[in-house]
Amino acid sequence: MNLYQPQLMRIEEIIEETGDTRTLKLQFENPSVAEQFDFKAGQFGEYSVFGAGECTFCIASSPTRKGYIEASFKEVGKVTRAMRRLNVGDTMGFRGPYGNHFPLDEMKGNNIVFISGGIGLAPVRCVIWNTLDLRDQFKDVTIIYGARSVADLVYKRELQGWAGRSDVKLYQCVDPGGETPDWKGEVCFVPSLVEKAAPSAKDSYAVVCGPPIVIRLTLPLLEKMGFAPERIYTTLENRMKCGLGKCGRCNVGPYYVCKDGPVFTSAQLKALPPEY
Amino acid sequence: MNNRRMLNKTDFEDFVDSLLRAGITVIAPVRREQGGEKVEYRPIHSPAEIVLSGQPPVRPLKEVVFPPTEPLFNWKQTKASVQIEEVPTEFKETVVVGARPCDAAALEIVDKVMGWDYRDELWFGRRQAVTVLSLACPQSDDSCFCTAVGLSPESTRGADWFMSSVDGGFEIEILTPKGEKLLERCKDRCRETKGRTNAMPSLDAKVRANLNIDPGKVREWLEKHFDDPLWSDVALRCHGCGACAFVCPTCHCFDIVDELDGIGRGQRRRNWDACQPALFTLHGSGHNPRKDQTARFRQRIMHKFNIYPARFGEVLCTGCGRCIRACAAGMDLISILSEIDRKSAEEGA
Repeated sequence: MNLYQPQLMRIEEIIEETGDTRTLKLQFENPSVAEQFDFKAGQFGEYSVFGAGECTFCIASSPTRKGYIEASFKEVGKVTRAMRRLNVGDTMGFRGPYGNHFPLDEMKGNNIVFISGGIGLAPVRCVIWNTLDLRDQFKDVTIIYGARSVADLVYKRELQGWAGRSDVKLYQCVDPGGETPDWKGEVCFVPSLVEKAAPSAKDSYAVVCGPPIVIRLTLPLLEKMGFAPERIYTTLENRMKCGLGKCGRCNVGPYYVCKDGPVFTSAQLKALPPEY
Repeated sequence: MNNRRMLNKTDFEDFVDSLLRAGITVIAPVRREQGGEKVEYRPIHSPAEIVLSGQPPVRPLKEVVFPPTEPLFNWKQTKASVQIEEVPTEFKETVVVGARPCDAAALEIVDKVMGWDYRDELWFGRRQAVTVLSLACPQSDDSCFCTAVGLSPESTRGADWFMSSVDGGFEIEILTPKGEKLLERCKDRCRETKGRTNAMPSLDAKVRANLNIDPGKVREWLEKHFDDPLWSDVALRCHGCGACAFVCPTCHCFDIVDELDGIGRGQRRRNWDACQPALFTLHGSGHNPRKDQTARFRQRIMHKFNIYPARFGEVLCTGCGRCIRACAAGMDLISILSEIDRKSAEEGA
């Protein structure tokens, strides 16, 4: 079996997140592979539909939830279109886990501020659940999330769950014009929501993920609020094919995002050419 | 016993013939059909086809260990279940006769990226199966610059045998265990010899006259000049076709795609790819981190002369000059590198 050959996974459940976004719950067909599989929050995989090709997504479920993985994706191209046509019981391919991860051990004992926009919540959700499943090892947990419209919010059931927890501070927003009459959250862009939430930088780590614009505006904002660039984490989403540091595609500056990333600190990003 | 042997021309041809009769694939430079003087590396059927003189082959040796397209596995689907059929990672014994030193060296340079951390079994499976007999470079042209990137027309890097043309035949240096194993097949034909007789004058000085730079200085300059007017100047005429990458012995970027073989059956394949076309880095969202040809062309130079050295300790270029010969727009790596060298000297002064 060569490096590029995937493991087979069966779709156990399909959750419709929005009009164009879905979450697939996947289980390895081979029980011994399932037994040995382990990953860390932030790692990614190459998911494939046989006949359509491969696509790169983070693992959106938490490593604390054993026996399955979840992938959330938006239909934008050939492979995601094929993925959206699959049904429960269908087979997919998976290679991984690849890449580095968020330093959860280092973050223990600190506050964590999660900031994301749109489908960027997928990689962050993995860390959120990882943190919440080990809740007593962290101090304050703040989640700041926004989407273009109410319909574009992903993981709606989980957002409701987090809103109801006393040990989580949740702030939500939708872009102006994206609100509905019964929308209770803020109407603004994610960086403004960060300013409104004003999380304390003391003993805190930030995990930021979203479209390039959210990342570009939020990282300097957090630094202004007192977060050290070494304590602000994000993931880069460069296009990848192999995931193994060979095919050359995800190269930014000296890094192969697939091997040296996808998780980087704001301090690392500053030293990089703006090719992400 | 030393590691140098002498093999006269007839015995060399008999030896190649014996390899063919033993069922071994022999690849050598041969005339291109209707290609005039042009040669390319191809499997041969008779030693008479081999052309060891003249211009370097049009394409490098890369495709012998890294085919332009190759299957990664086959799959078959019945209802919802999929079966995967592996492809072999062991390959047929192959001997390359008359490889150019720049092409042989490239294999060793690319070994580094193919073997760091994750090991690419398809690349190394073929590397294992292929024995490389290189030949001291018989002819250079004004696109050659191997001496500027730490190699030479007599570089033995990546070779299992290094052959030099001498009167009446070849002087052979056996360099690796694989080379020794191959020597077993022609022991009775060759005799031991002392040092090189050097019947052929070296091309070293001629190549050095094309380009004489210090790759370390180039790297230092690149390190500091991600933004420089040079990039848009040189990239202006680049069409982004990627021909430079396809004829490059060290370019190794690839794409992974699925192909159907009818209903419910297919292959996942990897195909050569290149960093010059815009699609290479285009995101599904429409965002492209390298949005124009300036960024893409800079990436090509950066990867070869800064990123690869930073990661793997040497430049990703053997100075074969093919990118210069192949470019329809006349992009010239020699003049770009000398410009960088000039700028670096100017700033240093």
